[in-house]
Amino acid sequence: MKKFDKERMLLAVAAPLLAIVSAFLLTALVLAATGKAPFEAFGVMFEYGVKSDSQVYILNKATTYYLAGLAVAIGFRMNLFNIGVDGQYRLGAFFGAAAGGAMGLPGLVQIPLIILVAMLVGAMWASIAGLLKVYRGVSEVISTIMLNSLAGILISYLLVDGRLGVLDKQTNIVATKALPESSHFFTIPAGGDLDPIWGFIVVAVLAGVGFWFLLGRTRFGFDLRAVGRSESAAEASGVNVKRMVLSSMLLSGAMAGLIGMPTVLNDTHQFTADFPVGVGFTGIAIALLGRNSPVGIALAALLWGFLERGANRLEFEGYDKEIVGVMQGVIVLCVVIAYELVRRYGLKRQQQKVGAELAAQAKAAKSDKQEVPA
Amino acid sequence: MRRVSRIVVAGLATAALAFSATACGSSSESGSKDKGIGLAYDVGGRGDHSFNDSAAKGYDKAKKDFKIGGKELTAKDGDTDADRYDKLASLAEEGYNPVIGVGYAWTPSLSKAAKKYKDTDFAIVDSVVDLKNVASLVSAEHEGSYLAGVAAGLKTKTNKVGFIGGTDSSLIKKFAGGFQQGLKDTNPKAALNVQWVQVGSAKGFGMPDRGKDIADGMLSNKVDVIFSAAGGSGAGAIEATAKKKGTWSIGVDGDQYYDKGLAQYKHTIMTSMIKTVDGSVYDFIKSVAKDKKPESGIQSYDLKRGGVSLSYSGGFIDDIKPKIEAAKKKIIDGKIKVADTYKD
Amino acid sequence: MRRGTVHALVGENGAGKSTLMKILYGMQRPDEGTIALDGATVELHSPADAISRGVGMVHQHFMLADNFTVLENVVLGAEKLHGIGAKARARIKEISDSYGLGVRPDALVEELGVADRQRVEILKVLYRGARTLILDEPTAVLVPQEVDALFDNLRELKSEGLTVIFISHKLGEVLSVADDITVIRRGTTVASVVPSETNPRQLAELMVGSELPSPETRESTVTDQKMLTVDGLRLTATDVDGVERAVLDGIDFTIHKGEVLGIAGVEGNGQAELVEAVMGIRKPDVGVITLDGTDISQAPTRKRREDGIGYIPEDRHRHALLLEAPLWENRILGHVTEEPNSKGGLLNPGAARRDTERIVTEYDVRTPGIEVTAASLSGGNQQKLIIGREMSHHPKLLIAAHPTRGVDVGAQAQIWDQIRAARREGLAVLLISADLDELIGLSDTLRVMYRGRLVADADPCTITPEELGSAMTGAASGHLEGSADADAPADTVPAAAPADAAPAGGEDR
Repeated sequence: MKKFDKERMLLAVAAPLLAIVSAFLLTALVLAATGKAPFEAFGVMFEYGVKSDSQVYILNKATTYYLAGLAVAIGFRMNLFNIGVDGQYRLGAFFGAAAGGAMGLPGLVQIPLIILVAMLVGAMWASIAGLLKVYRGVSEVISTIMLNSLAGILISYLLVDGRLGVLDKQTNIVATKALPESSHFFTIPAGGDLDPIWGFIVVAVLAGVGFWFLLGRTRFGFDLRAVGRSESAAEASGVNVKRMVLSSMLLSGAMAGLIGMPTVLNDTHQFTADFPVGVGFTGIAIALLGRNSPVGIALAALLWGFLERGANRLEFEGYDKEIVGVMQGVIVLCVVIAYELVRRYGLKRQQQKVGAELAAQAKAAKSDKQEVPA
Repeated sequence: MRRVSRIVVAGLATAALAFSATACGSSSESGSKDKGIGLAYDVGGRGDHSFNDSAAKGYDKAKKDFKIGGKELTAKDGDTDADRYDKLASLAEEGYNPVIGVGYAWTPSLSKAAKKYKDTDFAIVDSVVDLKNVASLVSAEHEGSYLAGVAAGLKTKTNKVGFIGGTDSSLIKKFAGGFQQGLKDTNPKAALNVQWVQVGSAKGFGMPDRGKDIADGMLSNKVDVIFSAAGGSGAGAIEATAKKKGTWSIGVDGDQYYDKGLAQYKHTIMTSMIKTVDGSVYDFIKSVAKDKKPESGIQSYDLKRGGVSLSYSGGFIDDIKPKIEAAKKKIIDGKIKVADTYKD
Repeated sequence: MRRGTVHALVGENGAGKSTLMKILYGMQRPDEGTIALDGATVELHSPADAISRGVGMVHQHFMLADNFTVLENVVLGAEKLHGIGAKARARIKEISDSYGLGVRPDALVEELGVADRQRVEILKVLYRGARTLILDEPTAVLVPQEVDALFDNLRELKSEGLTVIFISHKLGEVLSVADDITVIRRGTTVASVVPSETNPRQLAELMVGSELPSPETRESTVTDQKMLTVDGLRLTATDVDGVERAVLDGIDFTIHKGEVLGIAGVEGNGQAELVEAVMGIRKPDVGVITLDGTDISQAPTRKRREDGIGYIPEDRHRHALLLEAPLWENRILGHVTEEPNSKGGLLNPGAARRDTERIVTEYDVRTPGIEVTAASLSGGNQQKLIIGREMSHHPKLLIAAHPTRGVDVGAQAQIWDQIRAARREGLAVLLISADLDELIGLSDTLRVMYRGRLVADADPCTITPEELGSAMTGAASGHLEGSADADAPADTVPAAAPADAAPAGGEDR
């Protein structure tokens, strides 16, 4: 048995490693084709990426990405493609920030309230897609993509001076009313004159632990995973698939609502029109890369942060800044391919092993049998 | 050998990252002073035929005139304030001075960077950062757009005029508001059709095909003058207008009559509302590099200062020049107060 | 293997038949050894390779597009041969006529019955120029009359000089149609025999390497305590044409404690829907279902399972297993709310693992461990795990749909034993099967289902598979008076093996 586990571990690590190595090689080819020395570029990224202020940047960035990866992974675990994480996250962050700006309660009450509002809004936005799927059979892929656009329009309708926005005449920036000082989330000093690490990283870690516990240790989680592996078997086993679709959509949306919180509570303290777009889509890539496991997603989020940090530097060093975009895209592609290859190999390998072990058992049994009558 | 070890190092980066978050390497800060101009474009960057290009023009000219170096960086879609700050800080850290952020999206990050790098001179285009070492280069787009509205009101035959904005941001609404007021003051019968390429997203500045579609829609509704303040999307509108006889387009930011990418349509570009980002950028660099007396505070580039103007290239509006100049004078004299936002 | 013969390949599940066939059809590469075709050594890299050398395969699960016509299905992927128009149609007619397949090129596949679909599969292979046909368990889905018709087709093919490789569990069939028989066990050939020199019993013993089981269970354990009562069940469904149709109508039956009720019927006559209605997966329009005195008509599936219904679904891959999950997670499936799998809302993986170890030992599931995925087990071992799981929760009622389908003889015997043992302890069983010998052998009461209704009943002690078969086609209704004792000469029955192999009917132990 031990041997099996070791091999499974190896296979589990093999896929992302294979993906990243081949992505680096492919990117090297692209770099070489643009006439740049590829490995110099990686060297630049690495040298820059491990510096202490880069580490703070990466940790802060990964906090957001980690939550995004988790939100997507909840859906993925039951074969639901919640492409709408982006819209849910923006809408959640927007209403969270707006609510926070409007209230003046003590931080201890107000911060959880802001988080709650964001999660509720995210969950409600996601539930639209869930309800459409359950009662009308609308593919969640289509509906969530459309809901992303709708979320954008809704925000730009509300983020106007006089509605939920406040216009700064001087800077031309429309934003929600800034959070009061008391609602700023705590930060962890990183020493020296470095920027602090966002305290929300603690919440992200807790969310990861919660994710693991919910999926791996509860009945609900088992039902959810069962639906993901085989909807028909889950239904026959007594899982109410429709309710499961709805509740996992709600969970995914609530988690999506959390994504914007580190930025709102730890960084900008308000929602501006240029609040980052596309984090939800990054979450898809990260969930894929992290194999939907809480630890894998964490590693993937850190890698993503590292790549983006490196990208900023690459541009400075005169490389095309798009190269990191290419690298990220290639990683995602490689991940999909590598996982499928490793999965097939693993399955085949296991079947072979089972066959071999059974044959050995049978042989042993046979010799036993021959001894008995003798 | 060195190369090989770098490959290994790069490959291990990921794994290392997970565990080395606390292991302190040296900070990324290093570098010497006086490398020249640091210029940070907004999304789209150099080559957008518009706003960023205009800044690039001033930058290029200053580099040549003052014989200094420079480095250009560009923000990308999805960049957070932290990413933007990272770019500005890199420039300042490496010794670039002055450092200029092109576009209001740089406001929070530039404000943060200026606080940290007190010896560096910063400038922000289109926004205001109230710090001693920051010059805020703002333009009176609404005043220039008012003149464009006057020209449109005089030139339209169908009494239907269109405005295409890249997005419904307050900056673009300055254009729309001034244009609307100029139009109504000149030709009360003219109806204005306002459309946004993308609501709530700066992506609307880079969608020429959408711009073309919207313009086509307007043209089929008998609109015969279209003013687009939509960055790269405006090129689509100009193309659409060129294809229908007797219709005019109004360019924006630069003098689009001379835009090489639009050369084949220039006979239909009636005028351009020029916003001299190049001028303000150039002036600012000059104040730092040559005069050694850096500008600071709000530098308002209005009609009076020549920060905005209407072009007469091609001679299409020479016939109405007196009326335009009259309007211009009234604004400069304060007799006309131009609204700086658009209301339906 | 000689040209112009029917060569049968028999062996337990997991013995290596499917793997051998996959190698022959180019779907898998052998580690060692060679394949010789017409005297020449060939290497088959892909199914396309195999087809080009005249080897064709008819899979156990049909690979047809339902919403295409027969013609379209046949030419799909082989458009280059005769185009897709009149020439192709003519060729199909020609093949159909020369082998007596009776295929209509323009019929929609979804309108065809199982036997017709199988003929389309055979035609598809012949159309591609196959001279060697591999048939993987072709009779599993057919009623006896259809099996006879299939065998006539095979003889026709053989007489035209084609070679047929025939894989089956049912030894009686093998003996009636094959010219040569190869028995394989655990991946090696254990015997090559000629039908005239052997009998089903010998053959079966070769297969399992031990004594043989029988499904017979004559001593009655039926009590008068009602366990499951189904009253006036009616279920309608809208078919593809948008017409509302009754899939189940007027279903009434009662199963008592200790009783096995067998339902016979050609597949697709409502058995699957009946099972799903009792399980609560489908909502019937009207009807009352009572389990052990409690009305469960409105209860969700999970409640019904908790109340004591064990379920062995027809399609274990789709309905009973998470193929890519380890065995111990599969042990939890369907019983996640029950001990030892969980406590409160939380799973108890340790206890579930330990209990899986117990099931593996007690039910002789052959696996190297409980961490392997369900997909890596053979069909029989998967089924043993499922039965072990369901029995571990001491059900009051067991719904067993085709419990031994695709399961080797050895496992089959165990499964029958387990059902019998549980029945003695008062278990009520609803048994659905296409294996008529199994039905007759295990059931205390038999009902025949035809077009969504229970049209006939029979006494398993007296009925023959043939009589049952004709009732299943709708030819008879009411109470079937069996005449088994009079005319059931075992040697002419081309039906399933175990009954044949067992000491002749009625010879109770």
